[in-house]
Amino acid sequence: MPSADPTLSAAPLLQVKGLTIRFGELTAVDGISFQLAAGETLAVVGESGSGKSVSALALTRLLPPPPACRLGGEIRLGDRDILKLDEPMLHKIRGKEIAYIFQEPSSSLNPLFTIGSQIGEAIRLHRPDVKDPVAEIVRVLDLVGIRDPEKRHRDYPHQLSGGMQQRVMIAMALVCQPKILVADEPTTALDVTIQAQIIDLLRDLKKKLGMSVLMITHNFGIVHGFADRVIVMFRGKIVEEGPTEVVLRNPQHPYTKALISCIPRLGQRQERLVTIDYSTLAP
Amino acid sequence: MFSEITRQQFRRFRSIRRAWVSFWILVVVYVVSLFSEHVANDRPLVMRYGGNTFFPTLKFYSAETFGGRYRTEADYLALEKTPEFLAQGGWMLFPVIKSDPLRSYLKEDGSPPLAPSARHWLGTDDSARDVAARLLYGFRTSMTFALVLAVLSAVMGIIVGGIQGYAGGWVDLAGQRLIEVWSALPFLYVVILIGSIYGQTFGVLLFVFLLFEWIGLSYYMRGEFYRLKHQTFTQAAQALGAGSFRILYRHILPNAMVPVITLFPFMLIGGISALTSLDFLGFGLPPPTPSWGEMLQQGLKYLYAPWLAFSSVIALFSTLLLASFVGEGARAAFDPRSSNAIR
Ligand SMILES: Nc1ncnc2c1ncn2[C@@H]1O[C@H](COP(=O)(O)OP(=O)(O)O)[C@@H](O)[C@H]1O
Ligand SMILES: [Mg+2]
Repeated sequence: MPSADPTLSAAPLLQVKGLTIRFGELTAVDGISFQLAAGETLAVVGESGSGKSVSALALTRLLPPPPACRLGGEIRLGDRDILKLDEPMLHKIRGKEIAYIFQEPSSSLNPLFTIGSQIGEAIRLHRPDVKDPVAEIVRVLDLVGIRDPEKRHRDYPHQLSGGMQQRVMIAMALVCQPKILVADEPTTALDVTIQAQIIDLLRDLKKKLGMSVLMITHNFGIVHGFADRVIVMFRGKIVEEGPTEVVLRNPQHPYTKALISCIPRLGQRQERLVTIDYSTLAP
Repeated sequence: MFSEITRQQFRRFRSIRRAWVSFWILVVVYVVSLFSEHVANDRPLVMRYGGNTFFPTLKFYSAETFGGRYRTEADYLALEKTPEFLAQGGWMLFPVIKSDPLRSYLKEDGSPPLAPSARHWLGTDDSARDVAARLLYGFRTSMTFALVLAVLSAVMGIIVGGIQGYAGGWVDLAGQRLIEVWSALPFLYVVILIGSIYGQTFGVLLFVFLLFEWIGLSYYMRGEFYRLKHQTFTQAAQALGAGSFRILYRHILPNAMVPVITLFPFMLIGGISALTSLDFLGFGLPPPTPSWGEMLQQGLKYLYAPWLAFSSVIALFSTLLLASFVGEGARAAFDPRSSNAIR
């Protein structure tokens, strides 16, 4: 259930206004606006290719530099406009204020270094004042539910399962105590049972640490009970937005209805997978 | 220090017996050749004279020291046989090969090239210089040359290819065109030209070889850096706020070392054979430097003295063969794409 009341904080933590992302001729994201309050969890839902990932990466300008990729609009983080910052400033924001978890935990870790050493890298980058990095590494590994962290932090990525690797990625993101955690389809590459564990973990951590979460997914099933608000993206545009309960119960846009009908329900046997009829959706 | 994967690769390399044995033979022979002065020399390692002990391979002693007339270096081979020396109860312990690579041993009977004998195991060349001694010193020269060349060109190849692959875009494109033009320069002319202006010294030759040798590896590094730049873990590091430098040396470079390791033995082979052929043609290191190319050439010139051709060809052939066994094994052990067919 909603963990914090977003209306309590006055100015939103993050405010995106008319964000446009172009790759050459292709407009991947077309003037989207949304905001994220402190402690709020926002889900961005949309099918593959609808521009969710590039929007998330744009938040700290992790996209190729122009002319390959051009950004327009405004991204306000506190009193700064991300699109106007220089590289050194962006390095301070990445990881420290906005941290990411990606879809593929198995390839998100450098195969040549221990997981402890990679979490240590994050500490070195953003928290140089930490006296005992190993203790801190053990602490975050414990926080994300890795058993026996005193021993496991010396493991190499390939010695861990996919779910464990994703926990390590979460630990790496959390060790710098970011204000916003962006999770880009963090469970898509995992088994269903592991998916549920990771979602539970994220829900716990969000409550414990009080950070804002931007959860990107193509699966409405994850959103329920996790996000305060939902944004639905379709072909680079926001087609629907609102509190999770409202959107789930009473979707307005036909695309949202189609996505929601894709959620498999317990005890209900589905004869066929629902397919989306694009001819009725074309803008 | 080394990751589990790297250690596993080293273990795999060790398990490929032929490569592992070849590697150690080359290492041992090279280390021995580094001490050539104490292995092949006509100065004794230790000598006793007039109640004192001398170490002529380590230190210069003039002929005066041993009752001679001149200040020039003592001729120990002659001294050993003088009645005074023997009367003093002196003795000398010579290195395994009792010859200097640069000295002519003309006094012995016959006209050079002299056939193998107890005195000169592999015979002498046309200037009556000991072939065994020259082979050993020649090995040291070739191997040192090839090693320095391979290391420097690897560094250059990594830097150039790395910049191209990482930066991409017009940097990559311009670099690629420049390299194409550069590699079209006729190597032999450049060597002859620069050699005739600045002299054919070790340093000049190394420099000229280096101008071209790095190109091959730079292609591989360009590809590796490009591939690794787009790996998720590189992007994850970027999302964590790591700068370009940190990403390059921690996430990309260590993961890009496989081609360097697997190509290194083949770069050594290239260096040795290139220097040898240049020496053979007479554009390499100037005489009287002991060199395998020059010995090969003599072998061709004096076909009636087969020990010349045989010893240099066998030495060159076995060195290159051992190095390619190492290379083959390194590729099997380190390159994830190659199967483990080679054993
Ligand atoms: N680096 C890139 N260069 C060109 N096009 C890109 C690049 N990254 C993403 N795109 C395009 O942007 C669109 C949105 O992609 P993305 O945000 O990854 O979708 P998703 O919603 O599945 O995360 C897609 O059409 C994709 O082809
Ligand atoms: Mg995506």
